[in-house]
Amino acid sequence: MEFLDLITNALVSGVALGSIYALLALGLSITFGVLHIPNVAHPALMIAGAYAVVFANARGLDPIVAALLLTVPFYALGIVFYEFYARAFEKRGRGNTLQSLTLFFGVSLVIEIALVVAFGTDLRSVEVPYVGRSLEFGIVLLPYRFLVPALLAPVVILALWLYMTRTYSGLALRAVAHDDRALSISGVNPVSIKRHAFGIATALAVLAGAALVITGPVDPFAGRVQIGRVFAIVVLAGLGSIPGTLVAAILIGIAEALVTAFLSPSWAPGVAFAILLGTLAIRPSGLFGAR
Amino acid sequence: MSEPIVVIRGVEKWFGGLRALGPVDVDLKPGERLGLIGPNGSGKTTLINCLSGLFVPDKGTIVYDGRDITREPAFRRARMGIARSFQIPRPFTGMTVLENLLVPMDYLGSHERSELERADEVLASVGLAARRDAPAESLSQLELRKLELARALVTEPKVLVADEAMAGLSENEIDDVLALLMRLNDTGVAIIMIEHIMHAVMRFSQRMICLETGRIIAMGTPQDVAQDRQVQKVYFGERAGA
Repeated sequence: MEFLDLITNALVSGVALGSIYALLALGLSITFGVLHIPNVAHPALMIAGAYAVVFANARGLDPIVAALLLTVPFYALGIVFYEFYARAFEKRGRGNTLQSLTLFFGVSLVIEIALVVAFGTDLRSVEVPYVGRSLEFGIVLLPYRFLVPALLAPVVILALWLYMTRTYSGLALRAVAHDDRALSISGVNPVSIKRHAFGIATALAVLAGAALVITGPVDPFAGRVQIGRVFAIVVLAGLGSIPGTLVAAILIGIAEALVTAFLSPSWAPGVAFAILLGTLAIRPSGLFGAR
Repeated sequence: MSEPIVVIRGVEKWFGGLRALGPVDVDLKPGERLGLIGPNGSGKTTLINCLSGLFVPDKGTIVYDGRDITREPAFRRARMGIARSFQIPRPFTGMTVLENLLVPMDYLGSHERSELERADEVLASVGLAARRDAPAESLSQLELRKLELARALVTEPKVLVADEAMAGLSENEIDDVLALLMRLNDTGVAIIMIEHIMHAVMRFSQRMICLETGRIIAMGTPQDVAQDRQVQKVYFGERAGA
């Protein structure tokens, strides 16, 4: 009986965890998955978003409402960020993605240091009425601090997926990755599409930050443990696949929860890569990747 | 005679120390059918890239509809009415045929008819209506060529460059694409055809230009150009004893 309890709870918390991971990886599935820009600063942007949410929450705002409002300034920030990147790399021609990694690592460090200077290294958290309480039915016990962000993720993913498949500018966003020359011949400015995509990805970072800080307190370096995981999810999903991101993240979430329950929590961070390597050996383009 | 819609003057393009094109002067009249021939590497595609905005010429000017567009980016030229198809079809993969045409719809300016109506009309005009919802990856070679043209047509161009739109097609398929381009030309669109299939380009063109090592070596009616000694030399080599 105890085994059944354990495995059921591991599965439920794994799905919840995976759903949250999907939200963390979503912005990256645009910048890296669609635009092929290795934005390793995404988790740091997410933590910056979490701090912005903490700041707003301390003034009485609900963290999710705060995050939704903050998507606007974060979108603008993403556009500035892309302009900076494009000026430094893309306008000098193609093939500079690898060098641009240094830029993104640098940005990542600058964000972390700025957070330390502004807020110190203490853990920060949000105050919401549901933290500390859990949903109980039968043998399943799921804390609301996991359940709420886990429910937010599919809504955001659905909205993004509808945008990418049902709107003309969403189609243009998908097209820019395939062929920006063919896109410009069609009358679309590829640079403005990429700028917009980066804005969306950065706006998603603040939603991810809110989800993260609801699940538990963060410090300025909390993004670091997420870097490997979010890249693994995006590659496992199949570059640029939005539904794939959710499936891949839930797979990894369940696997991590099972490993934590039955082996040891210290193995959990490695699980994402074990699954990634195993899948890529069979399907090199990921779960939902084209060809 | 009407004013030319495209005026190319003294255009040159260099790659490193190599002059790939020019200097060339070309005029194109509204509604004209111009054939562009020449051996591989003679500068045809370079010239077209300069016209469509993928390259900025190192020298010379390009005027379209009375406006100097030498330095305008490709997307703005496409919106003004210069369209092209690529030699190797480049559909947007992971999308349907229809979606391929809808991609630029937010950026092409407003219109009285809906975007879907316009896209469907173009698909019907190139004979792809039945393949509307098929994934772009599933198209045959002929259908890919038609999609390539359809994507160019959705911008409602005044000038269309068809870059080897018939390469690799069978005789029947060539007739199919030629008829399509003729119908399009009947609606007033000027067409520049780059083609290696000589009988097709000769049948289609009102006027032909032959390029060789980046320069124009012959210009005139298809018959004149085909019989030009220099053109024959470029295409068939010097005949022994001739």
